[in-house]
Amino acid sequence: MIDLQGVSRTYGAHAAVRDVSLRIPKGSVVALIGPSGSGKTTLLRLLDLLERPTAGRYLFDGVDTGGSEQQRLAIRRRIAMVFQKPVPLATTVGGNVAAGLRYRKVPKEEIRARMAAALAMVGLSGLADRDAATLSGGEMQRVALARALVTEPEVLLMDEPTANLDPENTTLIEEVVRRVNRTQGITIVLSTHDMGQGQRLADTLALIMQGRVHQSGRAQDLFSYPGTPEAARFMGFENLLEGSVVEKQDDLTVIDIGPRRITAVSDAGVGEGVTACIRAEDLTLLSARSTQGSARNTLAGTITRIALHGSFARVTVDTGFPVTALITRRSAEEMEFRVGQPICVTFKATAVHVIRRADHSPPAAG
Amino acid sequence: MIPMDTTRFVPVAGVAFTLLLLGAWIAGCTGTPSEGTIPLTSPRPMAEGPRGTLLMATTTSLYDTGLLDFLRPDFEKEFNADVRITSQGTGKAMELAKRGDVDILLVHDPAREIAFMDEGYGINHRCFAYNYFIIVGPASDPAVIAGMKPEDAFRKILTEGIKGTAGIAFVSRGDGSGTHAKEQAIWKAAGFNYTVDVQKTGAWYIEAGKGMGETLVMASEKGAYTLTDEGTYLAFKGNLQLTPLIEQGEILRNVYSAITINPDRFPNQNATLANQFITYLLRDTTQQKIASFGKDRYGKGLFSALQGADCVRFGCDCTALAGG
Amino acid sequence: MNEILEGLVQAVHLIVTLNPEVIEISVRTLEISLLSTAIATIVSVPVGGLIHFREFRGKRVIVTLIQTLYSLPTVIAGLFVFLLISRAGPFGFLRLLFTPAGMVLAQSLLILPIMAGLTLTALSGVDRSKRDTIISLGATETQTVLSLIHEARFAILGAVVLGFGRAISEVGAAMMIGGNIRGFTRVLTTAIALETSMGNISLSLALGIILLAIALAVNLIVMLVQQERVPHD
Repeated sequence: MIDLQGVSRTYGAHAAVRDVSLRIPKGSVVALIGPSGSGKTTLLRLLDLLERPTAGRYLFDGVDTGGSEQQRLAIRRRIAMVFQKPVPLATTVGGNVAAGLRYRKVPKEEIRARMAAALAMVGLSGLADRDAATLSGGEMQRVALARALVTEPEVLLMDEPTANLDPENTTLIEEVVRRVNRTQGITIVLSTHDMGQGQRLADTLALIMQGRVHQSGRAQDLFSYPGTPEAARFMGFENLLEGSVVEKQDDLTVIDIGPRRITAVSDAGVGEGVTACIRAEDLTLLSARSTQGSARNTLAGTITRIALHGSFARVTVDTGFPVTALITRRSAEEMEFRVGQPICVTFKATAVHVIRRADHSPPAAG
Repeated sequence: MIPMDTTRFVPVAGVAFTLLLLGAWIAGCTGTPSEGTIPLTSPRPMAEGPRGTLLMATTTSLYDTGLLDFLRPDFEKEFNADVRITSQGTGKAMELAKRGDVDILLVHDPAREIAFMDEGYGINHRCFAYNYFIIVGPASDPAVIAGMKPEDAFRKILTEGIKGTAGIAFVSRGDGSGTHAKEQAIWKAAGFNYTVDVQKTGAWYIEAGKGMGETLVMASEKGAYTLTDEGTYLAFKGNLQLTPLIEQGEILRNVYSAITINPDRFPNQNATLANQFITYLLRDTTQQKIASFGKDRYGKGLFSALQGADCVRFGCDCTALAGG
Repeated sequence: MNEILEGLVQAVHLIVTLNPEVIEISVRTLEISLLSTAIATIVSVPVGGLIHFREFRGKRVIVTLIQTLYSLPTVIAGLFVFLLISRAGPFGFLRLLFTPAGMVLAQSLLILPIMAGLTLTALSGVDRSKRDTIISLGATETQTVLSLIHEARFAILGAVVLGFGRAISEVGAAMMIGGNIRGFTRVLTTAIALETSMGNISLSLALGIILLAIALAVNLIVMLVQQERVPHD
């Protein structure tokens, strides 16, 4: 459905989107995730033909979109977009929803019926005559969704559709999105910084960083096996340790990290530079006196910092290099952790995700 | 994002102007109810048949007295025509006439009228009325000119003014009007070169650049002398601290003429009605009306009829138009 | 002070007694001003919309030019139109000089720049994301401009009111093009100028008061229209 081939978009010296190639099959749901300012919005605007690429090609349903405004309008009318902060047009709610149909010169009777249906779909029946300027944020977001869907687009683009929304509106919008994808086969591309939402809605996630697609694939793959240190950090890996492979026993890989060595599972070869990524919640803290557990890696060190977050505690330990562990607040209290206390940090070899330095260049997304 | 397309913009401006013209035209057709004819097309009117339009340019001092609106209705009735009068300064009125924007010109500036005729802009130059300019000033008369010959009075004002005698000032129209032309003629007759000897010779000589009424008000405020037509003076008299000081003198005579604009220079000129209007002005009955005008309001007539011997004496032509 | 009071009394008297000439002049004034405003609106709003919407070389120059023309003296506008429509001018054959149509043309041209400029300002005031929304919803270029104008309609209405105010109070072009012909092109402003030069001060004041009353009435009507939206803001 959507085929981006080396698309870039620059504004003066600033490159918002760089050399993005992305193929989105018909009927799929793709979530663009990434930190704010990473180019997700620009990418969506390119997909909606609101911007022209400064380089590369964008094929929509096999047709090059680089043609005249007339041709682009015809394609744009097969796409709908819900903006991050949808604005009401200065008319009624019904008028807002009907706008796209009016632009398409749909007969009045049909407009009325489709407008009513679209409002019903987002649970706002009966609001048609209200002034759109009086809507709450959540209602406006739903109206914007109805306004987009009423045109029966083949592709629906959504920029952070539930940012700053309460859970109830979020659930409702996600349900509508899932439904139109399933029942009408609408291809959906949404941007989000919420991994959970990406996982809930999308078959494919594309991680966008600094205008590039760093990695794309199934949510679980991105979550567990980020391809770059940056991706790993965005995916929640708090401990990123630079080192090099010094020893191999089958899959087991010994990595030299400054003063210490750790064991991980990876296919990196001896002498290769790697980044070892460990989630804070995969680290276990044991008092220095206690016996060694089953984990392969045990690092002795001293607590340098304890930060409490609700029912969790984030404990930073200096083991020659700092590592951070996430434990429950209760266990932190029971074990009477305090700064300066000697302690052991343990983790399994399988908890270490190894990124080979050679792989750092972002892969071509599929 | 939005395609650059300057080529489509330029025609927009053209279309805009065309629209404006078109709109204005339509406006003209709808904006004038109660008008028998639309002025945009100009069928040549006859006494019978479609109602004609006579466009007249005249000087403010003549129009503002109300004389023309007083004479107009009888003519309009008799000749089945609308007389449209625009009153402008003499200079502007003559300019309009030269451009063919009007059919008839009513002015009071003999020198320029002769030049106008010589250049071939007009036909049928006729005098139809006259009156006298007056010299007014503060009742205290600081230059002591009351009753003098106008030329002598001007010479005295100038001498005292340049000397810097306190309280001596003269306000000139300074606007190229017929009155201003008359003032310059008096300076010349008094032996002065206007641009060298009079203008910019000191604070005493004030060039107002305004209409007669405003010039009178200015003279009154400054306690200065000025030259004025009698009609305007009488109209403003109540608000002025000015007294007529000199009302006699050949040179103060102010003769009003009418000129038909030469129809050969511009097509569609309504010369027929213009000639009819001149003929109407020269009629005895009209002349009586001219002589009587203003008596009810000011207690005296503002204009004198101009016929026969007077006309010859003034070097004017008051003869009836051929075929008129 | 006395004269001002006299003027007030006379104004009331002229209105109450429905003085036919005053009524006629007032109606003509209103007709000419409204038509000028309507024509200028029809031209300036789309032109302003296009200038705002399109990116083209020289856009800034045009905007600056428009803003400079705000200060166009009415006499110069009048003179310009005079030279165009005088019999010796290029459009002389239309015979528009000394007609209400000519006055409408002159006043339209006079208020065009300020109305186009304020339309531009009004459109610039529309949230950029509204434009994106409209385009994204599949509007053609024309539909986009129209929708944006609709979004900015209250600000544009303000421009229209200002244009009307300029047109009705303008004297230079009205005098030069209309010629202040009694019963044909005499409007309130030229009548005031005439009455003042004839020394009828209180009558001038009375006509001025009538002019202001007309302007007030028009503004009140516009205010009522604008008030419709107040609860929504």
